[in-house]
Amino acid sequence: MEQLKLIARIADQQIAISADLVESVVEIEAITPVPLAAAHIAGLAALRSRVLTIIDTYAALELGRSPRDGQLQAIVVTIDHHLYGLLVDEVVDVAAFAGEPEPLHAGLSRGWAHAAMGIVEHEGQALLQLDPARIVAGPMAVAA
Amino acid sequence: MDELLGEFIAETRETLEPLASEIVAWEIAPDDRAKLDSIFRFVHTVKGSCGFLDLPRLERLSHAAEGALAEVREGARRPDKRLVTGVLLIIDRIGELVEALAAGLPYPEGDDETLILALEPRDDKEEEAVPAAAAAALPAATPRAPARSIRLPVELLDRMMAGVSDMVLARNELSRRLRERAGDGNVDTAFERLSTCVAEMREAITRTRMQRIDGLFSALPRMVRDLSTELDKQVVLVIDGGDVELDREMIEMIRDPLTHIVRNAIDHGIEIPADRQRSAKPAAGTLRVDARQSGNQILIEVADDGRGIDDERLVQKAIGAAIVTRERAAAMTRAERLELIFAAGLSTADQVTAISGRGVGMDVVRANVERIGGTVEIDTQLGRGCRLTLRVPMTLTIIPALTFSVGTELFAIPRGAIDEIVRASGGSVVVERVGCALVARIRGERVPVVELDKLLGVPSHVDPARQILVVVRASSGERYALSVDSVQDHEELVVKPAAPAIMATGVYAGTTLPDNGRPMLLINPAGVAQIAGVKAPDAAIPAKSDVVAVEVETVPTLLFRACDGATRAIRLGLVERIEDVASGAVANIGGRLRLSHDGRILPLFGCEAVVPDKYDRVRVLLLGDGETEIAYAIGEVIDIHALSPDCLPSAEPGPIAGVMLVDDLQVELVDCFWLFAQAGGSSRSTERPLCLLDSDDPWMRDVLRPIVEQAGYRVGYSGDANDPDAAVMILSADRPSADARSSAPVIRLRSVADESVGPAGSIYRYDRRGLIAALAAAQGGR
Repeated sequence: MEQLKLIARIADQQIAISADLVESVVEIEAITPVPLAAAHIAGLAALRSRVLTIIDTYAALELGRSPRDGQLQAIVVTIDHHLYGLLVDEVVDVAAFAGEPEPLHAGLSRGWAHAAMGIVEHEGQALLQLDPARIVAGPMAVAA
Repeated sequence: MDELLGEFIAETRETLEPLASEIVAWEIAPDDRAKLDSIFRFVHTVKGSCGFLDLPRLERLSHAAEGALAEVREGARRPDKRLVTGVLLIIDRIGELVEALAAGLPYPEGDDETLILALEPRDDKEEEAVPAAAAAALPAATPRAPARSIRLPVELLDRMMAGVSDMVLARNELSRRLRERAGDGNVDTAFERLSTCVAEMREAITRTRMQRIDGLFSALPRMVRDLSTELDKQVVLVIDGGDVELDREMIEMIRDPLTHIVRNAIDHGIEIPADRQRSAKPAAGTLRVDARQSGNQILIEVADDGRGIDDERLVQKAIGAAIVTRERAAAMTRAERLELIFAAGLSTADQVTAISGRGVGMDVVRANVERIGGTVEIDTQLGRGCRLTLRVPMTLTIIPALTFSVGTELFAIPRGAIDEIVRASGGSVVVERVGCALVARIRGERVPVVELDKLLGVPSHVDPARQILVVVRASSGERYALSVDSVQDHEELVVKPAAPAIMATGVYAGTTLPDNGRPMLLINPAGVAQIAGVKAPDAAIPAKSDVVAVEVETVPTLLFRACDGATRAIRLGLVERIEDVASGAVANIGGRLRLSHDGRILPLFGCEAVVPDKYDRVRVLLLGDGETEIAYAIGEVIDIHALSPDCLPSAEPGPIAGVMLVDDLQVELVDCFWLFAQAGGSSRSTERPLCLLDSDDPWMRDVLRPIVEQAGYRVGYSGDANDPDAAVMILSADRPSADARSSAPVIRLRSVADESVGPAGSIYRYDRRGLIAALAAAQGGR
């Protein structure tokens, strides 16, 4: 069964996210910070009349902090009736993938391991497929 | 009722349409159970609704069909052609009647009996006749009124609402862009038109969410009837303001609180008829339920003329349930006492009844109402009744808010939580650092300051002295001042819940998108209080606290330098005058200083010995409690302050009640109660010293006596008894000496002012001061 997946780049890694879950890809201009919130909550941004909670994917994957310069791209997903924007370095492509993600048994850092659903292959290149819900939950969930 | 009827008509029409095909299918296959069931459900529903809406004709018809179909379902009867036809005819008739109802026309004529009888099982012989007759009775074509209402899923309405919000934002964006470039008249006019349309649209869509509060009130008559029957009470229900409109979600939210309040009113408020007549009230109690709009709030009042709430008993119960301490209860105002009704775990009923004793207390009512941004107030008069007022916002989502900035960030806070806004460096405001916490004194009242910049880690751009304090009262009772950089605006904001990770911080109530299109966070006052560690002193009484008491109960207090140089304070209310008296008017009498002043002898407190100033005068405060007067010697008056009634009490009763902090100085508060007790104890009549007057001298008896008594003596007469206990004796200068038995000092009064004329030491009899001084001195001599 073929499945559409969105391919994006985060910290020089190409990752895939199931396109079913993605509402849109938006350019983020201004982010309203949310003081006291967890590190992976970058802040709030407006998507027309709706408020997006922007997720710092670098922080969620325990890779530091997402770059915040210039135009930012975010993948918009809805999780539990809340709208989130996952910051990515670049959205690369949307492609059809065959087959389910395969488990990957070793070698991932804790942050990646937490968010990864497995390995998918695209044009001979192995990509990590990430679960947006786990990115949104952030690194705290690992500790819990 | 109209609304319910409209709903019934819409619903019946809606089911009738698909049912038409079912009926045809059933006619072909009368044994099809699924078809039978759906037809049965239809008539059953109609029957139920008709009973409720008081439509007897429809009810009879549907009842007959239901009965016949039930028999079929039970297998007691076979669905023969006659039965099927009969049911179909009845369903048709129901359709006709409903259309007539919808169009507001009189019911179409037609013999329902025939139709009903047609359902009765009969011999096959008559099979054809009856249905045919019934069919003939049907009017050929009832004009179908066009449907005036449709049913929409709420979700669709929400989507429309979101669409309109998008439109408003787009309009605002456009407005900004248009302002940036030079105005083109035509474009501006077109834009104005667009703006008007958008605004109208927004209002219309908002209205789709509104519902008449009727829907909420319509259940009340039945409930009141049932309850009053059950409790053997007579209640007249008066409902007013059913046409007030409210967000439909809001209506659902206040359904339970309102029901509970009405139950309470009947169960606990209104008395049984016998009791009412005994208290000269009409046997039937009146329960008034009233809704009205006030600004963007809806007020719902539930008032009964029952027995009211005994706040005394309430307090006793609260003490019994350990909700308040006895000390706290004693200090509570009546309003605070009544607030106890909202405290958890408190019921005024002696017995838990089936009606209202269901574990849902007024605390739950208040919590539910507050959750939707409303308030509950109570007002009661013992024996006269009780009134509860619910105030709820018209919509759930739009709240009035104040926006303010901290550093570069903007935040909003619900306006309802704000008490006042003051400048940190304003005239009546002093901000002090106590330990590591900031405390603001605003007109004498101390309020903890929460530094929002530090709390949120957002660097402030403003010098602390130039910050603005937003005094906030959280729903949980805490009162504190938020320090912010600047206040921006009052706005009506559409607030949405924030993502769980944001709500988890506890300091936010939601997010909002103001017209500038940049998301903003709404501060949750209670959450900030919790994180900042501001506590409500008495959690059991949510709306009131000791901090609040400080605000309302400042007492004007006089600060003065005492004779020993210490700074002391005294409640201004007791100070009648401040006077300078000659030091000679003070004498040490009976181990206590006394002041003779204006014809009276007053106990003098405040010093061990008089320290006169260079003019040989002493400054005294004259204190009075209405009965007793005392004097208090002081060095000088410093100032008058409005201070908290509280002070740190001293360990033992004495002239000092305790210590209080005034401008960082420890100040002793004079215990006037103790002073008056001391003074009162020594001035009781039996303990008053005796002054003997010359009984033969009518001037003394009639003129002098009141003065002597005023000076603190009781009066006896030398003529009838030479009381050996006499403290002093007053004689005319020309009278011979009193007999030797009395050792009392003698004051001699002369009738001429010239001192050289009378004997040495005598006093002119109209020299009141001299006389009083002599009386005081005489007492000291004992």
